[in-house]
Amino acid sequence: MSNPALLLLQDLTGGTELVDWEWLGENFWEDILPALQGHIFLSSISVAIALIIALPVGILSARYRKAYPPVTFVTGILYSIPSLALFAILISIPGVAIGPSPVIIALVAYSLLILIRNTVAGLDSVPPETKDAARGMGLTDRQILFRVELPLALPIIVAGIRIATVTIIGIATIGAYINGGGLGTLIFDGIQRQFPTMIIAGAVLATAMAIVADLLLLALERYLRPWARVRRT
Amino acid sequence: MIEFRQVSKTYPGSDKPVVEDLSFEVLEGEICVLVGPSGCGKTTSMRMVNRLIEITEGEILIDGEPNTAMSGTQLRRKIGYAIQQIGLFPHRTIADNIGTVPNLLGWDRGRIKSRVDELLDTVGLSPDEYRNRYPAELSGGQQQRVGVARALAADPPIMLMDEPFGAVDPITREGLQDEFLRIQQDIKKTIVFVTHDIDEAIKMGDKIAILKQGGVLAQYDTPENILSEPDSEFVSSFVGGDRVLKRLSLTRVGEMDLEPANGGTDGLLRIDEGLTVKDALSELIGSGHSRAVVEKDGENGLLTFEAIEDLMGGASGEPSNGGESSA
Ligand SMILES: Nc1ncnc2c1ncn2[C@@H]1O[C@H](COP(=O)(O)OP(=O)(O)O)[C@@H](O)[C@H]1O
Ligand SMILES: [Mg+2]
Repeated sequence: MSNPALLLLQDLTGGTELVDWEWLGENFWEDILPALQGHIFLSSISVAIALIIALPVGILSARYRKAYPPVTFVTGILYSIPSLALFAILISIPGVAIGPSPVIIALVAYSLLILIRNTVAGLDSVPPETKDAARGMGLTDRQILFRVELPLALPIIVAGIRIATVTIIGIATIGAYINGGGLGTLIFDGIQRQFPTMIIAGAVLATAMAIVADLLLLALERYLRPWARVRRT
Repeated sequence: MIEFRQVSKTYPGSDKPVVEDLSFEVLEGEICVLVGPSGCGKTTSMRMVNRLIEITEGEILIDGEPNTAMSGTQLRRKIGYAIQQIGLFPHRTIADNIGTVPNLLGWDRGRIKSRVDELLDTVGLSPDEYRNRYPAELSGGQQQRVGVARALAADPPIMLMDEPFGAVDPITREGLQDEFLRIQQDIKKTIVFVTHDIDEAIKMGDKIAILKQGGVLAQYDTPENILSEPDSEFVSSFVGGDRVLKRLSLTRVGEMDLEPANGGTDGLLRIDEGLTVKDALSELIGSGHSRAVVEKDGENGLLTFEAIEDLMGGASGEPSNGGESSA
């Protein structure tokens, strides 16, 4: 009887107005915009931290192949823990307070597997003869990495970032459950108050944000790869 | 000058050397072709010169200095490098590709740009049309030209070329070979050139080093001597049963000493002085005549079967020719 989802269902079928436009207008500045800002903050900081970890780990795993299986094993386990359980585990760790930090830690943990795998796959996709020519002309290992391998691995790395970002934007909504902020706040409050407008606002904005982020990253990748715009004559 | 001194290479995890006790010299300004069956260690030998592969035993001297005297990257910037798979940077324009080593060496932009244009001209690609393209916009033959231009960019005295014309069709390859020989007449690089194709070796080499399985040097000599005096069963079977004809392909009819054609040359077959003797012989036989006229410096010479036999000097060494081996 007290199941909020059931109540919501009754509400939806009960003929009441689904979206309360007036409420949206009145609460835009106070509730909706901060929730959106919080969501953008949570997601972008998580992707950024995850990249800072995943790029070097991926590069090292591609170089020292023996490290790769244990790396995918550990990040694979992180990836498979249900998100709600991960939040619960994290806030039970002494020193980790309820709020945005456990959410960010969890989101980073989720994206590592995808980002590391795509970094390794991207580096593996660089033609061996291109690396051989680079070495044969006297580029140092560092120059080969930054001038040849990473630029050529870019499309696959960016593909990983796109998947990770979209995933993170979705999972971040659950972070509101442990007071992480973001669009999840609207959704959880809406469920509590049996007010579909809030739920729909949170869901629609989270979805729109995922789509926009995906397109922006795609555009960035196109911009960084002028050579991909040409076709063989 | 490059000197191999008792060079051996054994790859880690193997106890059989793939190059064994290899010694020879490549003289300044010469093309030395390493040729032999697949897997005989040609690429390994070549890559030890610029230390893409480290030597197990022995040493390689460049102008008298061991090639270990400087760091590997420094060494490689001084040695041109071109390979069959080309390995152009797909994300860089043709100009950036060619400018790779000059850029590493810190040349200023203006100097790099004019060098790039000069090289594009040298390899027969119009700079205005090609410098801003990406490799994917070029045909295979054009990419190989760019690969060669890139190897030449910083004007290194030494070049390593591993089947540099191997990735194109035979007709394009012939063109690239002719063109490179023409360029080499001007630039006179000291070149180690790897191929598995004996015809390419004969055409391109000032010297040929024939390797056999296990990286053992079977014979090192000029193409002429290798064809006329193969010093083992292995070499004579590797150069093929048509080695007499191959020798004929080393000379052009214009270079032969021909009897002047006195009087009437009307109705006689005329042969271009630029043809190789082999092609000329083929035309002669095909025409059913026994003589042809070759015009050189405004004078007519007579090409006959006897003249061709004289050219071979009776030193064909073919056992079927009576077995008179010329020592
Ligand atoms: N990196 C390597 N590790 C182990 N063996 C190798 C390596 N590179 C080449 N070989 C072996 O060394 C031999 C000579 O190879 P290579 O020099 O490439 O011959 P070629 O260029 O004459 O075809 C071959 O048997 C090949 O399998
Ligand atoms: Mg080879």
